[in-house]
Amino acid sequence: MTGEEIVEKVKAGLPDALLDTALPQGDAVIFVAPDCLQKVATFLKDDPSLKFDYLSDVCGVDYLLEEREPRFEAVYLLYSIDHRHSVRIRVGIEEENPSVPTVSEIWKGALYPEQELFDMFGINVEGHPKMERLIMPKEWVGHPLRKDYPLTTETVAFSHNRDFKSELVKSKPPTR
Amino acid sequence: MSVTEQGLLEREKDTMTLNMGPQHPSTHGVFRVILEMDGEVVKTAEPEIGYLHTGIEKTSENKRYVHVIPMTDRLDYLNPPGNNLAFCLATEKLLGVEIPERAQSLRVIMCELARIASHLVWLGTHALDIGAMTVFLYCWREREMILDLNEEISGVRMMTSYIRIGGVAKDATRPWLDGIRDFIDYFPAKVDEYELLLTRNPIWMDRTQGIGVLSREEAIDWSLSGPALRASGVNWDIRKSQPYSGYENYNFDVPTLKGGDIYDRYRVRVEEMRQSREIIRQAMEKLPMGEYKTPDNKVSLPPRETLHTSMEALIHHFKLVSEGISVPKGETYVPIEGPRGEVGFYIVSDGTNVPSRVKLRAPSFMAIPGMCQMMTGCYIADVVGIIGSIDIVMGEVDR
Repeated sequence: MTGEEIVEKVKAGLPDALLDTALPQGDAVIFVAPDCLQKVATFLKDDPSLKFDYLSDVCGVDYLLEEREPRFEAVYLLYSIDHRHSVRIRVGIEEENPSVPTVSEIWKGALYPEQELFDMFGINVEGHPKMERLIMPKEWVGHPLRKDYPLTTETVAFSHNRDFKSELVKSKPPTR
Repeated sequence: MSVTEQGLLEREKDTMTLNMGPQHPSTHGVFRVILEMDGEVVKTAEPEIGYLHTGIEKTSENKRYVHVIPMTDRLDYLNPPGNNLAFCLATEKLLGVEIPERAQSLRVIMCELARIASHLVWLGTHALDIGAMTVFLYCWREREMILDLNEEISGVRMMTSYIRIGGVAKDATRPWLDGIRDFIDYFPAKVDEYELLLTRNPIWMDRTQGIGVLSREEAIDWSLSGPALRASGVNWDIRKSQPYSGYENYNFDVPTLKGGDIYDRYRVRVEEMRQSREIIRQAMEKLPMGEYKTPDNKVSLPPRETLHTSMEALIHHFKLVSEGISVPKGETYVPIEGPRGEVGFYIVSDGTNVPSRVKLRAPSFMAIPGMCQMMTGCYIADVVGIIGSIDIVMGEVDR
């Protein structure tokens, strides 16, 4: 199926669960709210003509610098092994208590990237069996891939600038 | 019930926790797994990663697009051209530039050479883990030839950074082309030699057949990719399903086996080496003449000699060096087929010269839960073989 056909098919099958659809560079992209994610995911996997049985990855994105609502986004990349087509689900997640339901019951492969989503962005994945840090040490404070997390907080041993270190910690997102 | 019998009964429930790694030589890096053992049988395997975390994704968000390319080399350090290619393809998709055919062929040759080199490292170390020392020496001998070819074309043996946005770093040289022709004539006999050492070797077969089995459904469900998925009977190769860089013009097979055990993963990879050599041969046969990078001066530098005569070229040169490439706003994902499976970059651009988000889809990272699934119920001696058969590279797991 081409991207357009996939988008049309999903629109017809789930008229009220989708927020929006898009076709950037011909790829099928569907926008879903967090509370509809599991419903959409189940539909995409079970529908015989779509049959998205393979989850490739889950990517987190922080849109803080673009100042748009909602701030976070989780992107699910899906394939169908039999039909050889793909789709992206983009789920916007609020800044306050960010959370998204798990899809690891639908695709087991989601367990690891969802844990990384929590580790790197602090997005709580509801229903995930092991919601703890994956790559960073267990006692780490903060979520490194958030845009307001500074690139470096290295301790400066000697500095004439008294506020140097504290400024660094509170620093604004990196300027270009 | 006597005291000794009672003691035995109590001990039946008793399991031992065994720590393996991160300094264990067979983990190919710094992978740690905590095994709960019942005698010699693994009850549960709990992976622990992050020892090699260097924050490459975070660093990428603070560097220009061109500067990200050398960092992608360090992700999967056995497949630098593949990582370069995935990142460049994603950026080029957002930019909407056309890549000249010669550049595409050179990219394919580099990626297939890297696939052979990576599989040689895998075969050598995997056999060494299981106890076959000789294969390691032979594999390194052939890998050395590929590294010499890398040095000839890019100046670097491993971290080539040869594939750039808009094409490749420089045109193929005569000694490189001759070296590749020699290599494709020389290599097939060597693959037969490796097979002679292992494929019908009774010790090798005992150690690998029927061990670490993952069925077709499980392999798909656990998001395995590449040779591990194909050894479980799934005919899935990004080069066939979503062709890039002109792979649709090459005639090659995707080796697929049904067993899903260590032995079948071994056979899939050995056959892949032959297929890669075949792709290189075809690419060399019809290597087109022409540009090795896009003539679009908004993306690639104008030829050096034009700077003295053309004002336009000078301005483009200055802007590209001082400012870098500005990528239109948008987001995209491009996968390629690396030696370990699907390597893909998800890039979000905010319209500036610095990417807003760079996410790597790393095949080794996604394979770790499935790998630990294979370990449950097997003997401790087979854990080493299972890790080797998945061919993890910690550089891309921890990023």
